[in-house]
Amino acid sequence: MASSVFYKFRSQREESRITFNGTGISVFDLKREIILANNLGKANDFDLYVYDAATNQEFPDDAQIIQRSSSIVVKRLPSAKPGRGKAAMYIANANNNNNNNNNSAAPEPSARPASSQNGPSSSYYKGVMSKRFDGKEDPAPA
Amino acid sequence: MADVPTLSVTMLGAGQEVGRSCCVLQYRGKTVVCDTGVHPAYSGIASLPFVDELDWSTVDAVLITHFHLDHAAALIYITEKTNFRDGKGKVYMSHPTKALYKFMMQDFLRMSSSGSDALFSPIDMAMCLSFITPVSAHQLITISPGLTFTPYHAGHVLGACMFLIDIAGLRILYTGDYSREEDRHLIKAELPPVRPDVLIVESTYGVQSLEGREDKEARFTSLVHSIIRRGGHVLLPSFALGRAQELLLILDEYWKKHPDLHTVPIYYASSLARKCMAVYQTYIHTMNSNIRSRFAKRDNPFVFKHISSMSQPKGWEKKIAEGPPCVVLASPGFMQVGASRELFELWAPDSRNGLIITGYSVEGTPARDILTEPEDFVTLKGNTIPRKISVDYISFSAHVDYSQNAEFIDLVKAQHIVLVHGEATAMSRLRAALTAKYKDSDDEVKIHTPRNLETLNLTFRSERVAKAIGT
Ligand SMILES: [Zn+2]
Ligand SMILES: [Zn+2]
Repeated sequence: MASSVFYKFRSQREESRITFNGTGISVFDLKREIILANNLGKANDFDLYVYDAATNQEFPDDAQIIQRSSSIVVKRLPSAKPGRGKAAMYIANANNNNNNNNNSAAPEPSARPASSQNGPSSSYYKGVMSKRFDGKEDPAPA
Repeated sequence: MADVPTLSVTMLGAGQEVGRSCCVLQYRGKTVVCDTGVHPAYSGIASLPFVDELDWSTVDAVLITHFHLDHAAALIYITEKTNFRDGKGKVYMSHPTKALYKFMMQDFLRMSSSGSDALFSPIDMAMCLSFITPVSAHQLITISPGLTFTPYHAGHVLGACMFLIDIAGLRILYTGDYSREEDRHLIKAELPPVRPDVLIVESTYGVQSLEGREDKEARFTSLVHSIIRRGGHVLLPSFALGRAQELLLILDEYWKKHPDLHTVPIYYASSLARKCMAVYQTYIHTMNSNIRSRFAKRDNPFVFKHISSMSQPKGWEKKIAEGPPCVVLASPGFMQVGASRELFELWAPDSRNGLIITGYSVEGTPARDILTEPEDFVTLKGNTIPRKISVDYISFSAHVDYSQNAEFIDLVKAQHIVLVHGEATAMSRLRAALTAKYKDSDDEVKIHTPRNLETLNLTFRSERVAKAIGT
C-alpha cells in the first residue's frame, strides 16, 4: 500500500506529496524525491533543509526516518560554498540502486516520485548545452 | 543609543551573481522587495531566488525595475504561490514594463510548460497581471503612511526604472540594470535629484571599460559587412526584446547607406517582438529626441525598411543556412537550444561565416563558452563538429561600465554602497577600485558586497552619519 509524506517549500501556500511503500521514509530518500519531483538536480547552488511542519524542528540527520502521513517543510538555502550544493549527491544513481549513498536504508525499497510521471530520467542528465529552453524564441537576459 | 532603527538589506538573489535579482529592504517594520527575477542558467524552482526565508505576507510592496527575466519572471510565483496575498502587499512597475511583461510571461510560460517544472499556470499569470499597479517616471507613489517611492528612467531597455524609496525618512536608491549612455532609442539613466542614504547598484561589468557607442557601432557594422563580403552568413544571437530593437535600428540605417547590401536579407523572425512592436510605438514619447523627432516627421523608426520580419515556416533555419549570404537575428541569446543554436550548428564548420555575440553572456551558457573560441563544439545531438566560424564579441547590453558606474556612484553620494548583480570576481574588483578611490575622502563611504541571504544591517544616526554594523 502506498504511503505519503506531505511537504511544501517554506514559501509555498500549498502542500505536495511524496508517495512510497512502507511506514516511513528516510530524510535522505525524501530529499531525493523532492529534488527529482521539482527537477532541482542540476542546480549546484543550494542545499535542501527539512523541518517538522508542526514544531519547526530541523531533521539534520539524513538517516532519520519520517513516519508516513507526516507534514514537513522544506527550505532551499544557498550552499555553504558557492557552486558546491549537494543536490546531485542525492540523485546520484537514482535510476539504479535506490539506496546508494544512503547509510540509513529505508524500511522498504523506496519511492517513485508521485508527481513525475515520465520518471526522473527525463530531467536531470542533461548538461549545460541542453537546458530546458526549447524556445523558438527566448525571453530576455540580464 | 539603544533602539537605533536598523535598515536590513538581504539579497535573495543577485548577491555576488548575475541572475534572479531580488533585494529585501526592512526598516521600521516596513518591508520592500526590489525585483523578483529568475536565474537564466536554471529552470523551475531552482531558478527562483532564495524565497524560502521571507514571510511574503509581511511585504508592503514589490517594485519591478524592468521586464528582463532575471528581474521580473519570479513575480507570478511570488504573488500566486506564496502567502503574499495574505498580506497587504502591492506590486508596482512602469507602464511600458507592465505592457511588455505580459508578452514576456506568455512566452516564458509557453516555453516552460513543456517541462514538468513550470512555475505557474496561465490562470496564475492572469491573476498576477491584474494585480500590478502601473506607475510613471517621476510620480511620487505612497504605498502606505511613511512609505513612498519615485521611479526614475534607467536607460537599459524600454520601461526600465530605478527606484528612490523613502521609508520613514530614510532614502534608498535601487538602480536595477542601468545605462548612462544614450543609445539609438532610449535616454540615459537619470540622476535622482535627492541624495539617498544607501545606494544599491548593479556591477555587471565590474571594472571593465566598454567602448563608446560610435566606435562600437562602426566596429559592428564593418564586421557584418566584411563577413558578407567574404560570402558568409552572419549570426546574431539575441533576445527577442530589448537590445534586438537597438541592433535592428543600427542595421537598418547601415543598409540604407549601402545600396550594395540591398540584396542581402536581414532576417528577424520573432512573433514575440512583433506583438511588442505596438508597445514600442505607444511609448515613443518616453524615448530619446532622435526617435521622437523622426516619429514627428512621420518616419516611424520601428518600421524597418531592410529587415524581413515575416513569420518563417517550420525548418526555415535550414533553408536560410543553405542560401546566399544573409544576416540573422535569432533567439535565444544564450544559444542553449532553438533557432540561434540550430543556425550556429549549421554554420559553425564554415570559416566564411561569422558569429557576433552582442550581449552580456551569463556564466554556464553556450554563448559564454563559445567566447573562448574552442576548436570543436558538441552539438545538441552529441556530435563533435569543428568550429571554423569566426567569433566576435561586441556588447550592446546597455549596462554601465566602470567609469560610468563610478561617476554615477560619485554623483549619488550615498554613505553606503551595496554592490549587486555581478559575478563574485567582477564585484570584488569593483569593490577594490571604489575602496581605493574613497580611501582619502572626507565622507566615510562604506562599500558592501553581500552574498545571497547574508543580511546587511545598517544603522543611521539622526543626522545620517551612517555606520555599518554587520558585514
Ligand atoms: Zn536587464
Ligand atoms: Zn539584469
